[in-house]
Amino acid sequence: PQSLLQAYAKFSGAPLAVNTLSNSWRVPKEDIPVLISEDIVISQPAKILNFLRKQKYNADYDLSAKQGADTLAYIALLEEKLLPALLHTFWVEAENYCTVTRPWFASRIAFPLSLYLPGKMSRKVLNRILLTRGGPPLYSLSEVEAQIYRDAKECLNLLSKRLGTSQFFFGDTPTTLDAFVFGFLAPIYKVCFPRVQLQEHLKQLPNLCRFCDDILTCYFRLTVSGHSPAGQDTADANLQKLTQLVNKESNLIEKMDDNLRKSPQHPPRKLTTLKLAAGGEESSPLNRLSP
Amino acid sequence: TAAEPWPENAALYQQLKEEQILLSDNASSLAVQAFLQMCNLPIQVVCRANAEYMSPSGKLPFIHVGNQVVSELGPIVQFVKAKGHSLSDGLDEVQKAEMKAYMELVNNMLLTAELYLQWCDDVTVEEITHPRYGSPYPWPLNRILSYQKQWEVRRKMKAIGWAGKTLEQVLEDVDQCCQALSQRLGTQPYFFNKQPTELDALVFGHLFTILTTQLTTDELSEKVKNYSNLTAFCRRIEQQYFEGHDKDSSATAAARSAKRSLLR
Repeated sequence: PQSLLQAYAKFSGAPLAVNTLSNSWRVPKEDIPVLISEDIVISQPAKILNFLRKQKYNADYDLSAKQGADTLAYIALLEEKLLPALLHTFWVEAENYCTVTRPWFASRIAFPLSLYLPGKMSRKVLNRILLTRGGPPLYSLSEVEAQIYRDAKECLNLLSKRLGTSQFFFGDTPTTLDAFVFGFLAPIYKVCFPRVQLQEHLKQLPNLCRFCDDILTCYFRLTVSGHSPAGQDTADANLQKLTQLVNKESNLIEKMDDNLRKSPQHPPRKLTTLKLAAGGEESSPLNRLSP
Repeated sequence: TAAEPWPENAALYQQLKEEQILLSDNASSLAVQAFLQMCNLPIQVVCRANAEYMSPSGKLPFIHVGNQVVSELGPIVQFVKAKGHSLSDGLDEVQKAEMKAYMELVNNMLLTAELYLQWCDDVTVEEITHPRYGSPYPWPLNRILSYQKQWEVRRKMKAIGWAGKTLEQVLEDVDQCCQALSQRLGTQPYFFNKQPTELDALVFGHLFTILTTQLTTDELSEKVKNYSNLTAFCRRIEQQYFEGHDKDSSATAAARSAKRSLLR
């Protein structure tokens, strides 16, 4: 949800300062990301989007009624068909979870929660997948997994057909739907996992890759014009960290992989460096999965 | 099997119409019946108390065609397509993507809202669901089956984050969904203009059932009635596909019985 929200905020020009929540004790239900605006605390992406809209930061202003309806339908499609496989890639796929997700996530939160929380999230995700997609005639976990990845690939194909050659889903300016799609695709596209069947499939759809790259270049770099609202200093600092992260993500993860392979115990120095170097967006692929 | 033509004795199985069937299953069943009517494929509706247990996926309705059994609208559409009948062949790729997206929207919002109402809203559960669901069975089996199903549905709701919702929030979601459908339909007769597709069948199944089922409160049907093009849409499909046949046909009987009260 975090990358989705930041994308939406950038599209609509809302000034959004990103703060990492390193102490997850305060949010026991893992309801991150949380939007805090003048003492009002809002915690779910859909509600946060509603709040931003009511404050008149509306990226959908120019859409027709039908396009608004289409947005809702496509979001439903993403949640039903793409989300299970995305969650699975991050939290259930054993190699991915052990080598990337868990250490990354654990490095962001305080001990001893770091021992307990990643496992809890993993179990929660598996539970969700089995409850909503398991059941006859799929009887084993591997059958369920095969089905959800088939659905996810079909969803990616459908998105690619819908996008066609346009720059964004509804013409030349980005909208809520673009933020949602970006929020779902960016983690698949950018995070390097050992098991990458979704990413490989995505790379075969060049217009979707171009879509992600465009948004990353236009909205998550410093040299952007016409979309900067006033008072952006904190946002700029975060943008800088964001850029570092998004560009060097694969390098960082490769380094982490090397470190993990060389020594079983996590060398604390290396992980601390990670924490300082990257800002809010670093947790985005992971926090994105907090239900 | 794909080469075999559609047999005369194809049957659709659902629960008992008058006493047992619930809102969500009725909607799903009607959607499949509408789809088959639109494809001009004859089907007989057979009511069985244990239909849920006969179904290969545990979900209803299911059809028995020749020597094959297929359940739920999605797989049934695929199955029918393999036999050479399709309503969406005339759509281009972008339209097909749109159709699939809207079908997910209906499943995501309308079906889940129906399930919520009948299994998570305490008043409805007590007055309608529990008495109806286990009605073919003697006590205590009827209560046991009912509680078991309720536990199962509530677990699923919790996993997808609907357990924490209030009834008002659920109704608001229904309204948002209806608004989207209404905006998409506009002034056209069907969602993809002149010809109905499986999306029309699905929307009809759910909206018609919501409009004609009497629950403990009228709030759900009121949400749909707010959109006049949706009620006109339902009436149009009912007239074209369900009343043009013999009075004895199962389809008309299904539509008629859906109108009656679901209360004890």
